[in-house]
Amino acid sequence: MAVVRNGSPTEMVHRAIKALGGIERFVKPGDDVIIKPNLCSVVRPYEYAVYTNPEVVGALTALAVGAGAKRVRVMDYPFGPQGNKAYDQSGITEAVTKAGGQTEVMTGIKFQKVAIPDGRDLSEWPVYLDIVEADVVIDVPIAKHHNLARLTLGMKNLMGTVQNRNQLHRNLGQRIADITSLVRPTLTVVDAVRILMDHGPTGGNLDDVREANTIIASPDIVAADSYAATLFGLTGADVPAAAAGAKMGLGTTDLDAIKIAELSL
Amino acid sequence: MTKPKRTTSTRYVWWRRGRQVVQALALILFLYLLLNTTWRNVANLPHDIFFRLDPLAGVATMLASRRWIASLALGGLTLALALLAGRAWCGWLCPLGTLLDWVPSRRQKGTASAAKSPWRYGKYLVLLLVLGGALLGSLALIVLDPITLLFRAVTGAILPGLGEIANALQKWGYQFAWARPAINWFSQSGAGLVLGEQDLYLPNLTLLAALGGVLALNAIRPRFWCRSVCPLGGLLGLFASLARLRHNVDEQACIECGRCATVCPTAAIDPQTGYQADMAECVDCLDCAAECPTAAIAFRAQSAQSRQAEAQPATTAPGLNRRQFLVGVSLVGVSAVLVRFGQRALRAAKDTLDKWLRPPGTDTARLEERCIRCGACVQVCPTGLIQPNPSPDGEGLWTPTLVMRDAYCDYGCNLCGEACPTGAIPELVLAKKQETPLGVAVIDPARCLAWDHGQYCIVCEEMCPIPDKAIKIVDHKQPPGAGLPPVPLPEVTPDMCIGCGICEYQCPVEGEAAIQVLPRDPAT
Repeated sequence: MAVVRNGSPTEMVHRAIKALGGIERFVKPGDDVIIKPNLCSVVRPYEYAVYTNPEVVGALTALAVGAGAKRVRVMDYPFGPQGNKAYDQSGITEAVTKAGGQTEVMTGIKFQKVAIPDGRDLSEWPVYLDIVEADVVIDVPIAKHHNLARLTLGMKNLMGTVQNRNQLHRNLGQRIADITSLVRPTLTVVDAVRILMDHGPTGGNLDDVREANTIIASPDIVAADSYAATLFGLTGADVPAAAAGAKMGLGTTDLDAIKIAELSL
Repeated sequence: MTKPKRTTSTRYVWWRRGRQVVQALALILFLYLLLNTTWRNVANLPHDIFFRLDPLAGVATMLASRRWIASLALGGLTLALALLAGRAWCGWLCPLGTLLDWVPSRRQKGTASAAKSPWRYGKYLVLLLVLGGALLGSLALIVLDPITLLFRAVTGAILPGLGEIANALQKWGYQFAWARPAINWFSQSGAGLVLGEQDLYLPNLTLLAALGGVLALNAIRPRFWCRSVCPLGGLLGLFASLARLRHNVDEQACIECGRCATVCPTAAIDPQTGYQADMAECVDCLDCAAECPTAAIAFRAQSAQSRQAEAQPATTAPGLNRRQFLVGVSLVGVSAVLVRFGQRALRAAKDTLDKWLRPPGTDTARLEERCIRCGACVQVCPTGLIQPNPSPDGEGLWTPTLVMRDAYCDYGCNLCGEACPTGAIPELVLAKKQETPLGVAVIDPARCLAWDHGQYCIVCEEMCPIPDKAIKIVDHKQPPGAGLPPVPLPEVTPDMCIGCGICEYQCPVEGEAAIQVLPRDPAT
């Protein structure tokens, strides 16, 4: 895992990926890459820390394109507004297009029931087919407060790849872990440039926003989420999804057990 | 006398061709502006230009609201055009008129009896009813305006209908691997994205039926709508009868073949009165001038008086004017009575109307006197929340209403006020709109997953866009149902709630949501 602090978003992404061994470790030439930011609800300016920093998404897109990916798509299914309106208003369209990638509107037709072989609570669920079929999925959540999930981080962000997600709230932590076991992102990059400490996930008070100026990157989604939890004064074990993920062997919440490259720019 | 030359007028054949091109372009422009009445383009284009040029919408709205509405003053241009060139609007620009030209009619166009048909006065009666209603403060009958009628049908029914069909086809086709590349391409294409967002609100099929009915009137006569029903045609006809540009027959050249009367789409030409056109009926299509085998017909500037003086001996049978006068007076009488009755019924219906939720900043009373039912707000609303009110009780028909469970008001959007051509929905800056209540969310504890079933579900709280959350968690209390484990329970703070309805939209309970936006009590 790499944790980089106090730089520009683009610079922090570059240094974090470099510390993990470079983008070539994750993206091979000819790969079909999907980058999944958390757009949540694009009704306020970026400063309110409701959706993933477009610069972070743009930097990752450029890296993937540079590594020779066949195509790099950025997509999310925010809960309001949807489609291009969210992409345009958040600045994602501009950042992604400039970096040589493309945005894709997640339309209802591509959600197909998929078996979740490792699921403990869910055995199948309608999932956006391309997410399952892509060679590489890069999960790019913003770190935010969330009443039911405690925090919304990398694992929770994958809820944007499935349908009927409001049906997941019963036993939410386990179900998020089940979906994580299906999607298994190649890389998780937590955008903690500005984080939302309260009234999440939709925010609206600048008082609730903290400038953490941090990028956390790891192929271990549970570990990345666990580190992000520490920014809120919590541990991975406090976040139900991460705890469930660790039990399923999707990663570890024990930050002492892994190597962490930390640098401040 | 020399034998008239047997040749059609090349000039008018070209003019007619030009008219057909203008018609097609105007219809394309109309649809283009409609399709761009969206979050992306509504501010960049004169999306409401057709409504603003519509003098009927302008006059009626100003009468009903008793105020000068500057944005609708452009309709004056169309009236001026009618004074200069007659009903050129109907023949050249009106998108509905163009469609009616394109809908085939097996019936012959003009005949001597059609030229005298009393049905043609119908449009003046309709006009009278529309304006009479407006004078009494109700725009209910503006639904008969041709421009809004077409826009509403396209945005409310045709686009969503096509969208539903396209979505169903894509969904079905997606099971075949070979079809997926094509479907993937289409779903991300411009047309695919527009259609993909569409959801048909079933009552809107009445909009389609209304348009279909208008087109079907062609079965009686071509452009029967324009001849006998259209109130805008009636208004323009009044001005057109004084038009400077007039149909003129060269009596020397005319061989009285009757071709002009036969091809006239509005039966404006009466063979029994020297083949002269009634300028209140003529839509300047120029078919007669282009078809005349001896090029005897021309359209040229003339004053109405000189034209009438010329025509007087041939056209008017004694007593006809008095009859017309009597018909007119009785029409006024009948419409006054109808409108009076209508008003009473409407007032009775008003109580039931207040149950409808309305777009931000407006209410039933304001809509009643300013809404022309055009559908611009319906088209621009990014979530499909705004739909034409299907209320069968008259007054509220097709005014914008909010259909909550299937959509919600986007917290970051204030486009309905921007799209509205009449100010029926006020333009609110975003910050103001974000504190303008549409209604208030109310939880039904008997259906709520948390309150009644002791389940973990606070989707409504999660979705609430109010900065300090109008839906709060009552922390892990024991829900009222006996023997249930403690779970987080949602609770609405009514003073903070603006009724955007995203909670109702996202509520995972099957069927009706366990949290619903209800109209606020006007007293509070």
